[in-house]
Amino acid sequence: MTAPMPRYSALALLRARIAGNGYWRPNWTGRTLKDAYDVVVVGAGGHGLATAFHLARDHGLKRVAVLEKRLVGYGNVGRNTTIVRSNYLLPENHYFYEDSLRRYETLSKDLNYNVMYSPRGVVDLALSDDDIPGLARRGNALRLAGIDAELMDVAALERFVPELVPRRRRRFQIAGALVQRRGGTVRHDAVAWGYARAASALGVDIIEDCEVTGVRTAADVATGVETSRGYVRADRIVFATAGHTSMIGAMLGVPLPIETHLLQAMVSEPIKPLLNTVLVYVSPGYGETYICQSDRGGLVMGGHLDGFPSYTREGQWDRLEEVVQGAIELLPQIGGVKILRHWAGINDMTMDGSPIMDRLRYDNVFLNAGWCYGGFKAIPASGAAFAQFVATGTAPDLIRSYRLSRFATGHMLDEPGYGPFPVRL
Amino acid sequence: MCPFCGPRELREFHFHKTLPSAEASATAYQRVYERLGSIDTSVEHWQHTGGCRSWMLVRRNPSTGEVLGITQLTGGAR
Repeated sequence: MTAPMPRYSALALLRARIAGNGYWRPNWTGRTLKDAYDVVVVGAGGHGLATAFHLARDHGLKRVAVLEKRLVGYGNVGRNTTIVRSNYLLPENHYFYEDSLRRYETLSKDLNYNVMYSPRGVVDLALSDDDIPGLARRGNALRLAGIDAELMDVAALERFVPELVPRRRRRFQIAGALVQRRGGTVRHDAVAWGYARAASALGVDIIEDCEVTGVRTAADVATGVETSRGYVRADRIVFATAGHTSMIGAMLGVPLPIETHLLQAMVSEPIKPLLNTVLVYVSPGYGETYICQSDRGGLVMGGHLDGFPSYTREGQWDRLEEVVQGAIELLPQIGGVKILRHWAGINDMTMDGSPIMDRLRYDNVFLNAGWCYGGFKAIPASGAAFAQFVATGTAPDLIRSYRLSRFATGHMLDEPGYGPFPVRL
Repeated sequence: MCPFCGPRELREFHFHKTLPSAEASATAYQRVYERLGSIDTSVEHWQHTGGCRSWMLVRRNPSTGEVLGITQLTGGAR
């Protein structure tokens, strides 16, 4: 064991200046795997680490481990486009994501780790007058729930995002936008590292390079997990494995209403500050693009799913082309900018587009999954609520609608509204 | 590869759904919502929407993207 890591503060910076670089300690230290734990969390991504952190901090559990097949933050928490917002139409979703956004606002302080929350405004664009009623309806639903939403006409939008003022007539006119000013971006890796550091400081064992290969059971209860480093006993098991959730279902013999799809993202070479909001447009006939500028200057872009199940993490070219076309359509001035990096993450898509937070087959096995493309913005609320569920055995109201049985009983939360498919036909 | 039109670009095809395993399709819930989560074999319905519009049953390996087999679906066959 190395010495505990110092708390980050202005004073710590000053001390480090005097003491030299040797003052700093690793953010989380390599722990050895023990034989038994109160809770074993599978998957050291955002949701797994946040759950472990809240189990240790809010519920006083001392023996918690997070087992990770690869590295902390290797999966989707490091592969998303860093956007946070809570402008969902359905009440179950917008109350949940609003809770998450509020937690993001204070997360840097809570974790003592700068996650660089930047409330720069998320702008949902309407590409025709026909898009306006849909956005107005969503905005009204949000305002009734006390969440900020602002419907802008073209003049107001061009004042808010001057970069959108066209120098030539656009092929597709912009008709207005729904804006959530508190939405914005958060440094994604910092969220993973911040939670890992804070959890580790509370005594959580974070074990990397440790793959869970099976679950051992006795009668009606799970007793532990088989891993690549041997058997670990556990009173409770939490699965937060995102794209590999279907594998967990197969491991436990429970088919899930989940398909695994690819979602691509890309970042351009760094350019001078151009865009200080997040621009989003979704047009069923034309495509989908969202674009924002990172603090380093790169334009971060993403779009719709690739369209068919895959675990490859290799995106299709035509989707990349569609996203770039959309971005240039919105901001013709970026036409000469080059793409620097491009990657894909594997998403566990549920059949209604909303997550699943429930027990899985056994009373002491918990599944946190099905985040579709909303996983990153959900991390703080998911961690807190799921930890409460795991610690007390009762799901808090915030996540009660996300039970697995909703598909069989007809209580779907179909946010996109096109039936039991992850992609539009 | 369309069984009717021959080799075509991927963007002409549209994925519809992954099929649940045969023994698990007893109830309506299972037929509509459950998917077979397998990392190496996936049985799927696709349609050649940008061409002859015929439906096909595709067996693929979703971990490599390799297509293992394609059968054209005709009326009545499921």
